[in-house]
Amino acid sequence: MKISDKLLQVQEVHKLYGEGQNETAALNGITFDVLPGEFLGIMGSSGSGKTTLLNCIATMLKPTSGKVLLEGQNISSFRGSHLAKYRGSKIGYLFQEFELLDNLTARENILLPLSIHGVNPKKAEELIQKLAKQFDIDEVLNKFPSQMSGGQKQRAAAARALISNPSIVLADEPTGALDTKNAKILMEKLSSINETDGTTILMVTHDANAASFCSRILFIQDGVIFHELRKKVPGESRNSFYERILTVIAQLGGGSINVL
Amino acid sequence: MFFEFIKRNSRKVRKENGVYFASLAISIIAFYVILSLGEQDVMVYLKTIESDAVAKLLLMIPVLYAVSLFFVFFLVYFANRYQLQHRSHEFGIYLMMGMERKKLFAMIMGETLWNGLVALFIGIPVSLFFTELISLVTSKLIGMGIIGHRLRISWEGLGLTVFGFIIVQILAVFILSLRMSKKEPVDLLNEQKGKEQRILSSAWGWLSLLLGAVLLSAAYILAILFLRNLDYRMFTLILFVGISGTFLLFRGLSSLIGRWLKYKSSNSTGLLTFTGRQLQENVLHQWSSLAISSLLILVAMVCFAYGISITLGAVSDRTVDFTFEGSEKEIVSVLTSDKLKPYVKDYYPMKLHHFQSSYAEMPKNTATNTFSWEKLEESVSEEKDSKEKENLLRDLSYQSTPYLISLSSYNTLLKSTNKSPIVLGAHEVAMYSNERFSFFHDLLRKVLKSYPTIVINEEQYRLISTLYTSNLVADRAITISYGLIVPDDMYNALIESSEESVLWNMLLDSNFVRKKGLMQAMHQVDGLLSLSALKYESYLTSMGRQLFYMVAGGYTTLYLGMMFLIIANTVLGLKFLMQQRSTRHRYFTLSMLGASVKSLYWSARIQIWWYFVLVISIALISSIFGIWSMLGSFLVIPTTSNLKISTIILTTGIALIVFIIFEIIYIWMIQRKSDEEIKILQKIQ
Repeated sequence: MKISDKLLQVQEVHKLYGEGQNETAALNGITFDVLPGEFLGIMGSSGSGKTTLLNCIATMLKPTSGKVLLEGQNISSFRGSHLAKYRGSKIGYLFQEFELLDNLTARENILLPLSIHGVNPKKAEELIQKLAKQFDIDEVLNKFPSQMSGGQKQRAAAARALISNPSIVLADEPTGALDTKNAKILMEKLSSINETDGTTILMVTHDANAASFCSRILFIQDGVIFHELRKKVPGESRNSFYERILTVIAQLGGGSINVL
Repeated sequence: MFFEFIKRNSRKVRKENGVYFASLAISIIAFYVILSLGEQDVMVYLKTIESDAVAKLLLMIPVLYAVSLFFVFFLVYFANRYQLQHRSHEFGIYLMMGMERKKLFAMIMGETLWNGLVALFIGIPVSLFFTELISLVTSKLIGMGIIGHRLRISWEGLGLTVFGFIIVQILAVFILSLRMSKKEPVDLLNEQKGKEQRILSSAWGWLSLLLGAVLLSAAYILAILFLRNLDYRMFTLILFVGISGTFLLFRGLSSLIGRWLKYKSSNSTGLLTFTGRQLQENVLHQWSSLAISSLLILVAMVCFAYGISITLGAVSDRTVDFTFEGSEKEIVSVLTSDKLKPYVKDYYPMKLHHFQSSYAEMPKNTATNTFSWEKLEESVSEEKDSKEKENLLRDLSYQSTPYLISLSSYNTLLKSTNKSPIVLGAHEVAMYSNERFSFFHDLLRKVLKSYPTIVINEEQYRLISTLYTSNLVADRAITISYGLIVPDDMYNALIESSEESVLWNMLLDSNFVRKKGLMQAMHQVDGLLSLSALKYESYLTSMGRQLFYMVAGGYTTLYLGMMFLIIANTVLGLKFLMQQRSTRHRYFTLSMLGASVKSLYWSARIQIWWYFVLVISIALISSIFGIWSMLGSFLVIPTTSNLKISTIILTTGIALIVFIIFEIIYIWMIQRKSDEEIKILQKIQ
C-alpha cells in the first residue's frame, strides 16, 4: 500500500495534561490509519481519551508529540491561516450539540464553510439542493434553527459538514442529543453517503447502535488502542455487528484486567 | 476569611474588566463635577457680583444631582449586569458547592462595596483633576486669568458624591442579585448561552418600520412648523410622536437588515452573512435599548447645541469698558491722570438724548418739535403677517418718539471696535435698535431695504438701509429699543439742553487687556477709579451677568449633554459586549469551520461599527431637526449679534469633530474588548 492511499495517519500521538507530578497522559502513543472511503468508529468509556484524540485530529488540540497526517500533510503542526484553510474545507465537523448558528437560516448555515473560504454561494446551489434532498431538509432550508426539530438540525449540520466536499468528516457523538428515531435516520443518511459518495467519516461515539453503522471500530482505553472490530464484508448484518460491539463494550465495562 | 475572598474576587474583576471600572469612575466624575460647581473659579467670582442669581443657580444643583443620580443609576446598573453575567457560571458553581443563597448575596454585596471603594479611590482624584481643569479652562476662556487660581475642594460635594455613588451602586446590585437569586443553579451555570432565537414576523417588522418613519417625519415637520408657538400641548404631542416614532423605527429595523441580507447573502463570501445576521439579531433583541440610546444621544446633541449657542451668544460685543457721567472737565482730568493714563486707550463723549416733542404742560417758549414714523409703520404693515410684525407695529405706535444719537459719537464707537463708520447723505438718518431687541431685527432690516422715510419737524428724512445695534454704553442695563442716529448739527438743533447729561465712554488699552485678561484688567482699573469721585458704570457688572447666563446655561447643558452621551454610549457598548459574550460559542463554531481569527475580529468590529452608526445616525438626523426648531423657537443666538456665520459654523464644526472623535474612541474601546473576548476563545482551543 502506498502512503498516499492512506487518507489519515495518526502516528505515535501523545497528549499530556498537567506538569510534573500531576502529569497525566490522555493519549499514550496512539497509532492508526484511516483509508479513503472508510467509516471508522472510535469507542471507549469516558476518560479513555477518545475525545482528546478527536480534538487532536480536528486541530482543536496540539498533540504533545507525534503526528497527525491528512493526505500526507502534518496538520498538527499547522498554525494561523494555514490551519484555517484546512478547517471547514478539508475537514468537515459534526458536533454533538449541532452548533448551528441560531441566527442564520439552515441554508446560510450550510453555506457558511464555502463563504468563509471565499467560494461564491451561487456556484453551490446545485450541491445544496442535492444535499438537502439527501438529508431530507429541503423544506426547512429557509428556516432558522429554532424553527427546526433536533433531527433536522443535526441533518442540516451534516449537510454543512459535507458542503465543501472535505477529505474527511469528523463526527463527535453526532447522535448524542437525538432521540432513537432521529439518531437512526441520521446514521442511515451518513452511512448511505459514505457508501454512495465514498466520503470518509471518523466518528467518536459510545452509542453501540450508532457504531453498528461503521465499517471498522477502534476501542480506546487509557489512551491506547485496546481492541479493533471490523464488519465482515460481505454478509454481516448490522444486527450481528451490533451484538459483537456490545460484547466488547461489556468487556471494556468489566475492565481490561478481566479480559486480557 | 470571607473578606479575604471578597478582596481576591474584586482584584480579579479589576484585572479582567476595565470597562466596568471605567463606567464606575465616570459616574463618580459625573457626580463631583456638578456638585463642585459652587467651587469653580468663575462661580466664586460671580458670587461677588451676582450673588442672588448665583444663589438661585446653586439651589438648582440638587435638581441636577437628582437627575444625575437617576441616569448614573442606569450606567451603574448595566455595568454591574455585564459584570455579573460574566461571572454567572462561577456563582452557579458556588451554589452547587453548597454556598447558601444568603451568603452568595452577602458576597456579591460585599464585593460591590469593595469595588465601589476602589472605584472611589481611582475616581475621586480623577474628578478633582478634571474639575480643576474645567475651572482653569473656563477662567482662561472668559479672560479671568489663571493667576489667582487656587486648588479648591468641595468637601460637601465630595461627601455627596461618595454617598450618591454608593447608594446607586448598592441599589443596582441589589436589584440585580435579587433577580439572580431567583434563578436555579443550572440556569446560572448555562447563562452564557444565548437567548432563545426570536423571530419577528416580517409583516409586523415592516409595519413598525413604516409607522416609525412616518411618525418621526411627522414629529420633524410639527417641530419645525409649530414648536415656535411654545404651546405645551404641541410640545407634548411632538415629544410623544417623536419618541414613539424612534421606538417603532428601531423595532422594525431588523426587517430591513434581514431583507438586505437576503439580497446580499446569495452571492457574498466571507463572514458577511454572519456579520449581518449578528447585527440583525442584536437590533431585534435590543431595539428598546437602541431607541433609548439614540434618544439620549439626540438629547445630548440638543444640549450641546443649546450650551454652545448660549456660550457664543453670551459673548456679545464689547464696545465700551467704562461709561462716566459728569462734566467733561472732571472726567478728562481723571482719565489723563498719571495713574490711569497707561490703561486708557480712548475716551469720547456719547451724546444721546430723548427726542423732545411737544407735550401738554411744556413751558412756553420752548421750541416745539414734531416727529412721525408713519411711513415706516406703513412699510412694516405691508409685510406678511407674523408675530414679529405684530410686536414691531405695537412698539412703534407705543413709542411715538425715538432716542437721538449723535453721528460723531456713534462713529467713534464704531471706530474703536474697528468697524467702518456711517456716512449719511443729505436728509438721511440711520436707524438704531439695541441687539437685545433682535427679535424683530430681521423684519426691520427687510423694511429698511425699501428706504422708508420719517418726518421730523415736517421735513422728510430717508432711513438708510443698515440697522445699527452696537451697545452704546458700558452698562448693559441701559438699552435703547428704537433710536435714530442723526448728524451732529441736527442733534444739537433738536436737543437744546445738551449740557444736561453727556456720557463719556472709555476703552481700556488692548495690550493691557491681553496681558491681564479682560476681567482682571477691568478689576484693576475699577479699583483705581473707585478712589475718584466720578460717577461711572463698568462693563464688569454686565459681563458678570452675561457670564452668569453663560455658566448657568452653558455649563449645565453641556454637563447634561456630556452625561447623556456617556451613558448612551456605555449602555450601547455594554449591551453589545453582553450579546457577544452570550453568543461566543458561535465564534468558536466559525473558527472550527475555518474562519481565521483575523476575520472574526473584523466581523465583530464591523458589527460594532454598524451597531453604533445605526443609533448615532438616527440621533443625528433627529438632532438636525431638533436643533433647527429649537434655535428657531428660542432664538438663542441673536441674529444681529456680531457673531459671524463663519464663527457659528466653525464652532459647530469643532463640536461635531469632538463628538466624532469621542465616538471613535468609544468604538475603539469596545472593539478592543471584543478582540479580547475572541482571543480568549482561541486560547480555549
